[in-house]
This record gives sequence, C-alpha cells and structure tokens, in this order.
Amino acid sequence: MMLLRLITWPYVRKHMLRCLLTTAGIVLGVAVFVGMHTANQSVLYAFNQTVDKIAGSTQLQVTAGETGFPEEVLERVQSQPDVEVAVPVIEASVQTGLQGQGNLLVLGVDMTGDRSLRDYDLNSTEDATIDDPLVFLAQPDSIILSEQFCQRTGLQMNGKLTMQTMAGPKQFTIRGVMKSGGLASAFGGNLAVMDIYAAQMVFGRGRQFDRVDIALHRGADVNAARARLQTLLGPGLQVDPPSSRGQQFEAMAQIYSMSANITSLFALFIGLFLIYNTFSIAVTQRRSEIGILRALGATQGQIKRLFLIESGIAGLFGSLLGLGLGVLIARGIAGYISSYLGEMYGVAQRAEEVSADPRLLGIALFLGVATSLIAGWIPARSAAGVDPVKALQKGRAQVMSEGENRARKIAALVMLGLGIACVFAGHKPLFFYSGYMLSVLAVLLLTPALCIWLSRLLRPLMKWMRPVEGALAADSLLQAPRRTSGTVAALALSVALVIGLGGIAKSSFEMIREWMDTALNPDLFVTSSESITQRSFRFPYEFGDELRQVEGIEELQAVRTARIVYQGTPVMLVSTNVESIANRVNMKVIEGDRETMYRQVSRGEGVVISDNFALLRRVNTGDMLELLSPTGLLRTKVLGVVADFSDQQGTIMMDRELYRRYWKDDTVNVFRAYLKPGASQSDVRQRLLDRFGAKTRLFVLTNGEIRAFILKITEQWFGLTYVQIFVAVLVAILGIVNTLTVSIADRKRELGVLQAVGALRNQVRHTIWMEALAIGALGLMIGFALGAVHLYYILEITKRDIAGMRLEYRYPIGIALTLLPVMLGAALLSGAGPAESAVRGSLVEALEYE
Amino acid sequence: MILITHLQKLFDGKSRVRALDDVNLHIRKGEMVSLVGPSGSGKSTLLNLIGTLDKPTGGEITLDGQRLSGLTDDQLTQVRRDKIGFIFQFFNLLPSLSCEENVSLPLHLRGWGRKQARDRAIELLDLVGLGKRVEHLPDELSGGERQRVAIARALSVYPPVLLADEPTGNLDTTTGADILGLVRDVHERLGATVLLVTHDRSVAESCPRTITLRDGHVVDDTVRAASR
Repeated sequence: MMLLRLITWPYVRKHMLRCLLTTAGIVLGVAVFVGMHTANQSVLYAFNQTVDKIAGSTQLQVTAGETGFPEEVLERVQSQPDVEVAVPVIEASVQTGLQGQGNLLVLGVDMTGDRSLRDYDLNSTEDATIDDPLVFLAQPDSIILSEQFCQRTGLQMNGKLTMQTMAGPKQFTIRGVMKSGGLASAFGGNLAVMDIYAAQMVFGRGRQFDRVDIALHRGADVNAARARLQTLLGPGLQVDPPSSRGQQFEAMAQIYSMSANITSLFALFIGLFLIYNTFSIAVTQRRSEIGILRALGATQGQIKRLFLIESGIAGLFGSLLGLGLGVLIARGIAGYISSYLGEMYGVAQRAEEVSADPRLLGIALFLGVATSLIAGWIPARSAAGVDPVKALQKGRAQVMSEGENRARKIAALVMLGLGIACVFAGHKPLFFYSGYMLSVLAVLLLTPALCIWLSRLLRPLMKWMRPVEGALAADSLLQAPRRTSGTVAALALSVALVIGLGGIAKSSFEMIREWMDTALNPDLFVTSSESITQRSFRFPYEFGDELRQVEGIEELQAVRTARIVYQGTPVMLVSTNVESIANRVNMKVIEGDRETMYRQVSRGEGVVISDNFALLRRVNTGDMLELLSPTGLLRTKVLGVVADFSDQQGTIMMDRELYRRYWKDDTVNVFRAYLKPGASQSDVRQRLLDRFGAKTRLFVLTNGEIRAFILKITEQWFGLTYVQIFVAVLVAILGIVNTLTVSIADRKRELGVLQAVGALRNQVRHTIWMEALAIGALGLMIGFALGAVHLYYILEITKRDIAGMRLEYRYPIGIALTLLPVMLGAALLSGAGPAESAVRGSLVEALEYE
Repeated sequence: MILITHLQKLFDGKSRVRALDDVNLHIRKGEMVSLVGPSGSGKSTLLNLIGTLDKPTGGEITLDGQRLSGLTDDQLTQVRRDKIGFIFQFFNLLPSLSCEENVSLPLHLRGWGRKQARDRAIELLDLVGLGKRVEHLPDELSGGERQRVAIARALSVYPPVLLADEPTGNLDTTTGADILGLVRDVHERLGATVLLVTHDRSVAESCPRTITLRDGHVVDDTVRAASR
C-alpha cells in the first residue's frame, strides 16, 4: 500500500486525464453490458409483473398458445376434484387511440368466480349505481377501468368509452374503477376488465376462451393436480403455473439477449485493449522509476503486484462508474425494447421502471475488474522483468523487443491455424465458437506487426502529402507500435462490430425485400387491427364471402396466424388455403418439390416450414412434427422448407381445413386481396371502408403500407444495434485521444525541436493530425479485414443460434465507405485536443524534457 | 546585430526567480561571443530569449533591426527560421530521420522542394565532414558526428545568427575541440554571428569576446584579440 501511495498516486495525479481516459474504456464496456441486460431484464420483469398481477391467486393455467380453445374445456377442468375455482379468461391488448396512452390490456372474465382469484378493489363512490359487480357485469356494456387510466385520460365513473369491436363501434359504460395498486397496476395501469361474453363479441372469438385460470383446494399438491389435469385434457392443452409465460417471453427476447451479449463482449474487449495500451505505455514511461525501485531492493513480485493492483483499482473504479452509466443507458432503451417486442410479438408488457438486478451488477463488476486485471497482466509482467541497469539508461523505451513481437506472431499464427481447423472440425457449438474467438484473437495479436507493416506502406504516401509532417507522423507510429497497437486493436474491433452488424442489416434488408417481392404481393390486406402483428381481434371466416362481393376484388385469401408453443418456444402457425397462396406467391424453396408439396399440404397431408424454423429446431423435409392442438396431438409430416421471414422464431404453414379440424378455430386475422386488372387500389379500399367500416372493426392496408411496416420493424431492430455501435465507436475515439495524449507526452522533445528549427504551430498541428489520421486508417484497414471474418461468424450465429435465417454473405461496402470519413473524421477530431496541447506548451521545457 | 536593453526574465513558481535582471548588451554582426557564468546565472535563459524560444518579462531584444517584443508565436517562429540556427548540448536530432533528413528538416519547413533541400543538406553535411554518412540514422553515429549533423542542421539556411548551448558539453575533450574548430570555421567562412554558452573556460577564452553573467546580471564583458 505504501508503494501505491508513494509511486502510483503521484503518477495518477500527474497524468489525471490519461488515467480518466483509460478508465473510460472500462466504464463504457461495463455500461454497455449493464445497460443492455438491465433493459432486457426490465422488460422481462415488466412482463412477469403483469402476468403476476393478472394471475392473482391463480395456481395453474390452461392454455393453447394464442389460438384459444372451445368453451367445453372449462367444464372438464371444473369437474376435477382438485380444482376449487376454474374461471375462463380472454386477454387482449388493444390500441387505445389516445395520444401517449399506448395499448390497453383488456381482460374478459366471468365475475361470478373470478373474484375468488383476483381482487378488483373497486372505488365505492356515491355514483356507483350497482354495488355488486356480479350484477353490473351481467350488463354486456359494462367495463371496469383502473384509477390510473381514468386519471390519465379524464374518464370518470359512469362515463362512456367507445371501442371498435368486431360487431362495429360499441359504447361501454364505466361501471367500476379499480383503486391503484394490485391488479389495477398491471400493465402500467392501462387495464380494463369486461365480461367474458362481451369480450368474445368484442374480439370476435366466437365460443372460445384464451385461458382457464385455476385455484386448487387448500392443501392440494400443485404438481400432482397439474399432472392429472394434463392427462385429462390431453397434450394439446398446456397446464402450467402462470410463471411459465415468462419463460416463453424470455425465449422471444432471447434473440435480443444474444445480440446484446455479442456487443457487450466487444465493448469489454475494446475496453481491455484500451487498458492494456495505457498500462503498456505507463510501464515504458516509468521504466526509470521501476529501475530505481528495483535498485533500491523492490522484488519482481512487488513490482508486478503494484501494477496489477493499479489495474485492479482502475477496473474497480471504472466498473463502478460503468454500473451507474449502464442503469442510465437501460432507462433510455428499455422503453424502446419494450415497444419493439410489443410491436413485433404483440405481447403485453410496459417496462416503465428500470431496476438493476444485484446479481447482474455483481457479474458486471466482476467482468470489469477481471477485464482490467487481464489487460494489466502482460504490462505488469513486463514491468517486473525490467532490467534495472538498462532502465536507468536513457533510450528507446517504446521499442518493442523483437522477441516479444515474434512470440506474438507465432501465437497469432497458431490461433489462426486452430481457428481455421475449427471451421472444418464440425458444427458443434464448442468448435464453432472456439473458432470465432481464436480468429478474432489471432487478428488482434497480429495487430502490432500489422501496424508496423501498414505504417511502412503508409509512410511514402504520408511523406508525399507532407514531406516533414507526414514522415514524422509515420515514424512516430513505426517507432512505438506498442503505444499505437492497443488503440488500433480497439478501433479495429469497433469497425469490425459495425461491419458485422452492417453486413447483417444489409443482407437482412435485401433478403426481406426479395421475400416481400415474392410473398407479400397482394394489393390490399384487410385486417382486424391497425398492425398485422396484433392478433387480438378476429374476423369470422364467412366475412370473406362478403368481402369478395366488393367490386374490383379478384381473389381473396383468408389467413389465420397464431402463435403456438412448439417444444417450449412460441412459433408462428399460419393456416390458409395453401394452394391458392402457392399460385400467387413464389417463395424460394429450400427443400422439397415445389410442384407437389403445396398440393400435398392443401390435402392436409403435411406442412411446409420456414427455413429459420428448420434451422432453429433442427427439422428437415420428411421429419414428423408433433404439434399440440386443443383437440390433441397433431403428428404431421414436413413436406418442404421455404425462405420465409414472417417470424423470427419460425413459421409452420398448414392448410386451413387441417387447422380448423384440430384447433376448432374458424377465425381469420387477415384477408389478402388481389385486385382485378385495372382496379384502383384506393377506390377498392374506400369501397371496403364504406361498406364495412360502420358495422365491423376493419382496417385496409395497402401493399406499400405493409411493406413499410415490415421495414420499420426491421429498422427498429437494427436501431438497437446502431445504439450499440455508437457506444463502441465512442470507446474507440477515447482510445485515440488517449494514445495521442501519450504520444505527445512521449514526443514532447521531438516536437520542441521541430518548433526550435522553425516549424510553425500549424505544421506541428498537422503532424499530430496526420498521426491521428494514420491511427484511424490503420484501425480501418485492420477493422475491415476483421469485419469480414466477424461478418462470416455473425451470419453463422444468426443462422444457427439466433433467428435461423440463412442470410447471404454480402460485405457492406456502402457502410465501409461511410465509415471511412466517419472514423477518419473522428480520428481527426480526437487529434485536435492533443495537437493544441502540443503547440501550447513551453518550448524551453520541451527541449529539456527527457 | 543583437541589441538588448533592460532585459528582464522572471520565473513564477513557489517563489519568484529573477533569472535575468536589467541586462544590456550589444553584439555586432559577425562577432563570436562566449557566454559564461556559474549554473543558474541566466546564460541559457539569455540564449533562449535571443533565440525566440522564450519571451522576456521586460526589456527589449532587437535582432537584425527587428524588435521582438509584441510579435506573435508564429512571427517569432518566422524570425527563428530565417535568422537563427541552434546547436544544442544533447544534439536534439530526430532519431527516426536520416542525417540528410535531419539537416533538410528546416528547409522542408520553409517549403523548399525535395531536390533543392536534399542538395543543400548534402552540401552542408560535406561541409561538416559527413558527406559519406548522409543516409545514416543518428543512432549509428558517434557523439561528435551527431553534433556535426546538428551544426549542419543549424546552418541549413545559412542564418546570420548561430546560437550554441554548451555544444561541447556532452563530448570528450578531443571531439569537443574538433566541434569548436568547426564552429569557428563556419563563423569565419560564413560570417555568422555566433553566441556560445559554455562552462569551459578554455572554450570561452578562445572566443574574441566573453560575457560573464552572475545572478542574472552581466558582471563582465571582455573583448580580446582573436585567437585560435
């Protein structure tokens, strides 16, 4: 500790700015990790909170994915001796249409039994015309709202609320207001309760329920009761505790978690290189200090510990700041993720409060300190190995030893070899991810050597541009690869991250566009909700017959989409007239015979699955799928695999008749309408709205609007990644500032000589700027190469572990070209401060500096 | 050539140090002057002020008819690059540049063309006896050779004033004598005004004029017949 006080503290005080910049690397690395995961957890927590509050004292729930099940299931459940209360529920999220209010979660319940499961805790006011909820809910136009929602919207007891139902606009009377807290606080208070039969009508559910909530007799064994109920109801209906819904939601958010993990890892990696860089520089700058300590009797172990403790303290300090910043970042993006998941999956959750999980914070703290210690290990070891005699001599402290350089190159080549071997070794995750890590590490280890080679290549160009400033800037890089390579590595990692994500974005957008061109080609889409991802409201199938009567429509395809649970994960089930679809769309067939497979599907002999379903669930043509339906297990054959981007979790396409038979569901979400040649899109749309708008809930979206919506969702997804890119680039800029600050301190005398022999201030500035530009250029060059490798792996990860999407390798040249001015501009900007400090100092002091 | 009137330089630190106080000097064109005095007497400070590396707290320096007070940093640099050549005790060569590049550095800074600058650098390296070592790096030269390169660099534009701060202080006696001979030779052949800071009495006495400083004051100014 005494050494810390006597040796470290004065150094920190003298180089405060540099120390802060070093710590900033870890701050941002930890902040990205905490921010991304806290935001994700908060959304998940919000979902679980909503589930918990709505569940009340429910112990078990009977569900069948999104498809619902016939009413008779309720009687079978109620007949079980373990069951004390079993009540039906319809749960739907609807847009309020009120500015700033978002969605309203509507619960359709049977109040007769429901009050024993959920406490409605109503306000009793003089206006309450009916004290007994049982009576008022018997009136089908009754609705209960939360106090919070009423306060926000100005609605009052006995007030009227108009909702677009499947039977046209209906006016509801507010006959109850739930006090704040408990059930009323679910979904941020945006909660409405209505009678179950009214809900069936409002949402077009026919005689189906979404769920049955169950409370068991006191003392009943939940697991045993669950098993008995499952046996009674068969495999098509799931009997689970309410908490299992969280697990399904988690599966949907997993894609985002994976992406957050990769970015966090990169951010920490970048931080690692910044710390390594600064500590390496510190060791070389403090060689004479180390030499004196060694001459005075300090052991190698003491020197090593001193530097390791320093890096540990920097890591701890940076991590603590990173935790705080991470929570702030989480606050900023939780709402964004929440709305994205809401829009993408139509799931009810509102992440209004961000609370950090102590375990996550602990992991982040550990990662930050560990990263810092790892980064400090090599510099600490080289500090311990300093020869006291040589250290006390003046000399070229920054020159990297040839032995060290050779060792790095050998290690890098071995890693590269192993990385390549892993590519051919097989598809097991161990080989794959090891190959990924080894390839990245190989490039990073080669960075110092690459810096020297590339600087030599750049020198003539820089000298040609500016004979003195260019040559000096290039020489500065050549003389001190250790000073530069850490920053170049950090910069290269940032560039690679951008190239990887940019490549995925480019490939995704292009393939989604191609898919939309072939699969989403109807002129109009008639939907029951504003958004095609919302499936709360449904049309009866027969409604299609009325739509077909409208002038200008040539063909109409009824589509029912619903999320079902396949092997614990929610996947999309699409039922339609497959043959009719096959005639109109030309989706890319990955497996199967296009001529026969659709015909077989339309005969109910099997299903076609999306490419991502096949990849994620490891299913191929000819395999048998076991699908859980309310009427039992459906074993069906996979007849083909097509490229389809409808859902990130995968899609199963089956014929409508087969679906109806097993799911007892005859409703429709979307009607795809093809117009007759010459018919005007806007005219037909208007005709549809004029004819049906008043009597049913209906939205008519044009092909362009649907495409724009899908592109918006895709952009929203990449929007998250762009935030991550911004943070990573920020870290890299900090690295350049750090390096140049050190470089100027190192070259104080050289810059002084330059001015003493007649260099104007601008000429000194140009030297620093050119050095900054060169660092930027080196980072870009290595980053572009590393990005090419990273893109390959990230595409593979997307295919095998994230979304199962077989995206083509398309190097994002446009993004690379955009990065050129952005990164070089950032480098130049980073050089501005150090350049000014170089010309502002005292010349006399600079010439005396050693 | 160099007129100094009431020159004052104060350094502010924990306590204020009066490095130069009311110094008045007149050095004529073509003179070779040695500046001596104990450590802390202010000789290097005076050299830095004349060389425009530092600014005085008070008083005035007029160099070749041009008053230095009130000039901006860039204007002072212009004066330095056109009129002054520096020779440092520790050579201050840029280690990554060859001898030729080090010597041509000031010329490039003045915007000279590559060939023109290289020709001049080789001419000067020939002059200091290093015509065969133009492509060598400073690390590959002995101390005396490095100082010769530094002298060649100082002469790159044939400045009218040559300022040397302990040019032999880092060299052995024989090499020091060689370098001093070279400086004197340059002074005689090019007619430059030379101001030389030294601790070495014999070096000082080899100059026709010696100015002695103590505690920031000129305490002696001796002019003697030119000697070798």
